[in-house]
Amino acid sequence: MVKKLFLLIIFILSLSAEQNSIYEKNCIECHQNFPISLEKLFFRYLLKYSSEKSVKQALIDYLKDPNYYTTVIFENELIDKYGIKSKTKLNDKELKEAIDTYWEKYKVIGRLK
Amino acid sequence: MSVLRKWDINLLQSEKKTLFSFLFLYTFLFLLISISVGMLYYNFEKDLMLQKKRIELQVYANDLIKRLKELHFNFEKDRTYPRDRRYKSAIFDSDEVEIFSLLTDRKIDLNKIIYKKESKIIYIKLPEAYYLGAMYVVIEVKDDEKWLNKVYTNLIIYGTLFFAIAITIGYFLLNLFLKPMKDTIYLLDRFIKDTTHELNTPISTILANIETINKDDLQTRIANKIRRIDVAAKTISNLYQDLTYLVLHNKIISEDEKIDVSKVLEERIEYFKIIAQSKRVVFKSDLQKEVYLLIDKKRFSRLIDNLLSNAIKYNIIGGEIKVVLTKKHISIKDTGIGIEKTKIDEMFERYKRFDNSAGGFGIGLSIVSMIANEYDLHIEIKSELKKGTEVIISW
Repeated sequence: MVKKLFLLIIFILSLSAEQNSIYEKNCIECHQNFPISLEKLFFRYLLKYSSEKSVKQALIDYLKDPNYYTTVIFENELIDKYGIKSKTKLNDKELKEAIDTYWEKYKVIGRLK
Repeated sequence: MSVLRKWDINLLQSEKKTLFSFLFLYTFLFLLISISVGMLYYNFEKDLMLQKKRIELQVYANDLIKRLKELHFNFEKDRTYPRDRRYKSAIFDSDEVEIFSLLTDRKIDLNKIIYKKESKIIYIKLPEAYYLGAMYVVIEVKDDEKWLNKVYTNLIIYGTLFFAIAITIGYFLLNLFLKPMKDTIYLLDRFIKDTTHELNTPISTILANIETINKDDLQTRIANKIRRIDVAAKTISNLYQDLTYLVLHNKIISEDEKIDVSKVLEERIEYFKIIAQSKRVVFKSDLQKEVYLLIDKKRFSRLIDNLLSNAIKYNIIGGEIKVVLTKKHISIKDTGIGIEKTKIDEMFERYKRFDNSAGGFGIGLSIVSMIANEYDLHIEIKSELKKGTEVIISW
């Protein structure tokens, strides 16, 4: 019984680690060198789209089809320097997992005192 | 019903029904109007109060939004939600999911701008940008309800005033409504009163003189004529007594005494025997002795006379009337025309007659009912068409 439980915990942790690794590998790596932090960008999305559902949908839409009109980066000099990012290579499932990790990391609900 | 009492009116069942329908409709309309006006006034005053409060709450909301904006852009440094002693607040996202709340009640109608819930006023403002994801900023303040006290006071004052006016109008309407009925009944009563007064002396004289005649000394032919005069005079006398009772019963004080019921019954049967003989109707009586009742003798005689008179009047030629007295009841049973079961309840209505072949004003059973009510006597009528009627008076 204890062994089964231990295996289950290991499995869940490994899943979570995998999810985190998608976000870390595909998001953090590139954004490390970008002047606006991922948290700041998250708050720009929040400011524009409000709810969890809308923010996540906006992120999916943008990452699948990044363009000048839907980006939350309004500093032209940054766009000139870094350009608009290329389309994501992640599949839908991976993309959703990465965005879920992103939302959980920076969401406001539950973090306010 | 003081109006009715003042006019000395005994209304028929149908008239009472109409009157009660009118009163019900009037009261219903009065309540409907009062409640509607009251509700309109309450809502008007509430809206007025909310409009006044809205300016104050707008200031609070703007202040909160300003602080939310600061928090939004400095979230990495500070995550403390802005608080204020003057109000409680909450923020909701575009899917109406609560982001953070200090409110006492979590069920907020975000589709409204301002509203009152229990003793709280809720104000909802949409900020120009979704700071911290907030699409709805909710401000809650306590309502001191001073306006409500004013509303209640006014409602009580004006409601009472309106009620008094409605009662007055209702009284005049009732007067107006009853006038035709009053006129008719008054005219009839007046006529009966005048007529009966003039009848008393001649009838008494006729009956007194007939009694003094020694019938044995007369020829059979003349004796028969005298007998017929006796019957006619007794019929008129009976009618006179009824009409007098009907017109004056509530002005005559009852003189209750302990009466021997069997004796009175024997007297009344004897009195009616001569009238019964004219229709060849025979009396059969089974009267228990020593049955006593505390009652006005004249009124009790009226009650019995009317029942016996009806039993003769509606009997067949050569019929029979059975009078039974026990400790608990009197039964008078005839072998007459009978009455339909459905019409039994209407029998006690004044001026109601079901058979126009017999004479009378239709007041007999009405008098019986009045006297029975006065002395708590219970009347039961058993009747079968073409077989006869039995009236049971129990106590």
